[in-house]
Amino acid sequence: MDPQALIDTTYLAPLPAPLWFIQFFKVLGFVLHLVLMNLWYAGVPVAVGLWLSGRAHGRRWTTRLIAQMPLIIAFGVNFGIVPLLFIQVAYGKFFYPATILMAWTWFSVFVLLTFAYYGIYLFAHGLKTYGPNLPKRFAAAGWVSALIFVALGFVFANAMSLMSNVAAWPGLLQDHSVHGAALGTAMNLCDPSLWPRWLMLFGLALTTLSVWTVVDAAWFAGNESPEYRQWSCGFAWKTHTVGMLIFAAMGAWYVFGAWPEDVRNRMLHGPMIAHTLLTGAIPGVVWLLLAWGARASSSSVARTPPGRGWASTVFIAQVAVLAINAVTRQIVQNIELQRYSASLWKETATQWSPMALFLAVFVLGVGVVAWMVLQVVRAERASG
Amino acid sequence: MHYPWWYVPYLTSPMLIAAVSVLHVLVSHYAVGGGLFLAFETAYAYKRNDRDYLAYLKRHAKFFVLLTVVLGAITGVGIWWTIGLASPLATEVLIQTFVFGWATEWVFFVIELTAAFIFLYYWGRLPPQIHVRIGWLYAASAWISLVLITGITAFMLNPGKWLDQPDFWTGFLNPQFLPQTIARTGGALLLSSLYVYLHAAIVIKDQRLQRQIEQRSTRPALLGAVMIALGGLAWYFFLPESAIRALSAAAALNVLMGLLFAATIVVFAALFFGPYLNPGWLHSPGFAGCLLAFGFIAFSTGEFIREAVRKPYIVYNVVFGNGIFPEETSRLRREGYLQGGTWTAQYVRAKYPQVVVDGRIDDDRLRALDRNAQVDLGAVIFQYHCNDCHAPAVGYSAVGPLIQGWSSQMLADLVDELHVKRFTMPPFCGTEAERDLLVAYLQTIAPPPPHGMRLNGSSTR
Ligand code: HEC
Ligand code: HEM
Repeated sequence: MDPQALIDTTYLAPLPAPLWFIQFFKVLGFVLHLVLMNLWYAGVPVAVGLWLSGRAHGRRWTTRLIAQMPLIIAFGVNFGIVPLLFIQVAYGKFFYPATILMAWTWFSVFVLLTFAYYGIYLFAHGLKTYGPNLPKRFAAAGWVSALIFVALGFVFANAMSLMSNVAAWPGLLQDHSVHGAALGTAMNLCDPSLWPRWLMLFGLALTTLSVWTVVDAAWFAGNESPEYRQWSCGFAWKTHTVGMLIFAAMGAWYVFGAWPEDVRNRMLHGPMIAHTLLTGAIPGVVWLLLAWGARASSSSVARTPPGRGWASTVFIAQVAVLAINAVTRQIVQNIELQRYSASLWKETATQWSPMALFLAVFVLGVGVVAWMVLQVVRAERASG
Repeated sequence: MHYPWWYVPYLTSPMLIAAVSVLHVLVSHYAVGGGLFLAFETAYAYKRNDRDYLAYLKRHAKFFVLLTVVLGAITGVGIWWTIGLASPLATEVLIQTFVFGWATEWVFFVIELTAAFIFLYYWGRLPPQIHVRIGWLYAASAWISLVLITGITAFMLNPGKWLDQPDFWTGFLNPQFLPQTIARTGGALLLSSLYVYLHAAIVIKDQRLQRQIEQRSTRPALLGAVMIALGGLAWYFFLPESAIRALSAAAALNVLMGLLFAATIVVFAALFFGPYLNPGWLHSPGFAGCLLAFGFIAFSTGEFIREAVRKPYIVYNVVFGNGIFPEETSRLRREGYLQGGTWTAQYVRAKYPQVVVDGRIDDDRLRALDRNAQVDLGAVIFQYHCNDCHAPAVGYSAVGPLIQGWSSQMLADLVDELHVKRFTMPPFCGTEAERDLLVAYLQTIAPPPPHGMRLNGSSTR
């Protein structure tokens, strides 16, 4: 089979908005998704592990993170809807076939997610009710959720890499079909980019988790002991170090071992090389900030963990790391799809008034949410 | 056709959409109606300074958030997940047309989520009027998201003038928009009262409070019932003719309509004899549970009918149920279905290169294939052309039993005039040679007559 011929060109609707607009919202939504998704992706496995280890600060950390987790998941999933929408607007010709080839796995995402999500509620309920005497069944719920989240990350890595791996489609259809219809049992396992892609993002997730740890300690952990906050700076730095090492190792594997020729040529030569280097190196900036914080909090003279300004700086830096990463992913995706997308996106018929409605509601929505958050801040201040 | 077809054994993949949708509908209507209930009743309880009622409402809010924020939100994403897998072409058309409708809806989701969490977690920590205002923000954004998504689902049943003037607003403000918005709003009111009855019956011991809740929740429930009836009538009035005919022609749909009416009447009567005439009945979780169960049945059948009457289309007059545009029919009849399908063409080329002449699949070469190959290709056509609505031998609306005992001539006649025999089917979009391949395959899935029936002196075989 000729992979190129599998890209449907018999129905090409004009894009409802300029391509850059679609890509902008796809990347913006993905960055928002990424920040929160990282926290459950790396956070829940680390949380169950720390709980098991039994150390007091570690258990405090687990209790805190898991109490926040329902909120994190609710918004993280919600933010995922934005890239999911815009991916289908511009990249449907790749998205639909890839997900159909792995239909059962893809279908299982929201089923498994439901279990993981309720598992988190159970785990959080157990921690709140029983504290250190947590019965096994609640811990088990946490473990199940952790496993599901790691598995779901793998499913997403499969789907997103299969979208670009058009060359593998004919073979996968042949091996996973009855009478030419997809059984939905394929995965992108033979793609050399799958494994480093999956693990690289897990490493990145650990770095985000470490940043959240210091943000939480500085902003929301007023009731915790100074020792806990101090511990969390050291813990954050160690977690970040591990995350960054994984990110670097898997990133190197991904770039040098798995990128197709054309992607490597474009990303490692000419103007793009600076961007590629930046993507790889910028987590180091956050690492330096965290290292400084960990030192400051452990030095025998000061012994006070750095404050909110520092934590906010680290957070903003991490969002920048994730944003740069997301932009790079988009560039790579475009290069990978260029081979097949020549006939797509030729026409644009911008839907002006619906777009204006969306943008107006978006601004309004940000205002309304800000107002609500302000009420919460006031309530927090009032209760001390 | 345009995309690979996902074969789900027995069930057919569109039935997965139906399953997820029904689950979602049962939770999402409560997400809207329950939000109105909480905002309205919390304001009332604050005004009366009714502490018991406030305490109950907080408990209800907890249950509400746990159900709607998790299951409601995820099954909503789940529908989207599933339509992309089972009806990619229709999904693509809807997304291209309504991307900004969905994007706008997403903003309201964010408001909903934020409001829901603050409403619950800051219970008692916000000044009452701010608390209530946040409750109303939730209720309003939830209802607006109902309106937005209804515009899109109503479009699928009757796009109205959009066919001549394909722009967002013409599509969104389609003839079905208002009727369905009224019916769904009523549904949200009614269903959430049924949830409230059951929840209250389980958790409340205090008689006074129980009665108060019953009495107060019956009003929106009855209003909801009236809105469902009015919206339902308007819905029927603005159906395309094919949908009305499908409704009256199909035996299964008649049974379901009967069931829908029966379940609705039961709920009506139960509301009347229960909370209205005999407050206190709802003390029993059993009774409240039955009531909710009837509500579920009515809602599920309603959704099922809404899906079923669209046949042969998935988006009326825009996309056929099997992922073909009506305007593609004549080209496919001329050039061949296997050749015209992005995925089928590649399948045939890879597996049967001998039928390809000058890059095209040749009818005479298809006729020259051996029987096994013909049956295989007939099965390919069945998968892509028929499996959207029919399982093959066993399962949902399986074709095998429908054609038991048919001769190959009868089968050929049916396929030739698929849309004439049953207007709920799209026309056959292939050449004569392809029709024969399909017939060859159909003969292999038709079951033999049952054993052991006495028709003359002795049993069959
Ligand atoms: C859009 C949905 C749809 C598609 C696609 C579809 N059908 Fe049907 N078909 C129906 C419906 C609805 C009925 C009526 C079922 C009933 O009465 O129970 C039906 C009935 C039938 C019957 C029974 C006819 C009779 O006289 O009793 C046969 C046989 C049949 N279909 C075969 C096919 C074949 C073969 C294909 C593919 C070429 C196909 N259908 C495609 C919806 C569809
Ligand atoms: C149903 C809710 C979710 C939605 C709608 C969603 C949406 C998305 C989308 C659209 C992307 C691709 C972004 C892009 O390339 O532009 C993505 C990526 C990703 N998501 Fe989510 N997501 C959801 C839940 C999850 C969950 C539960 C996990 C679990 C860990 C997860 C992990 C990931 C990962 C790891 C990626 C990157 C995959 C890769 O490109 O290698 N997501 N998500």
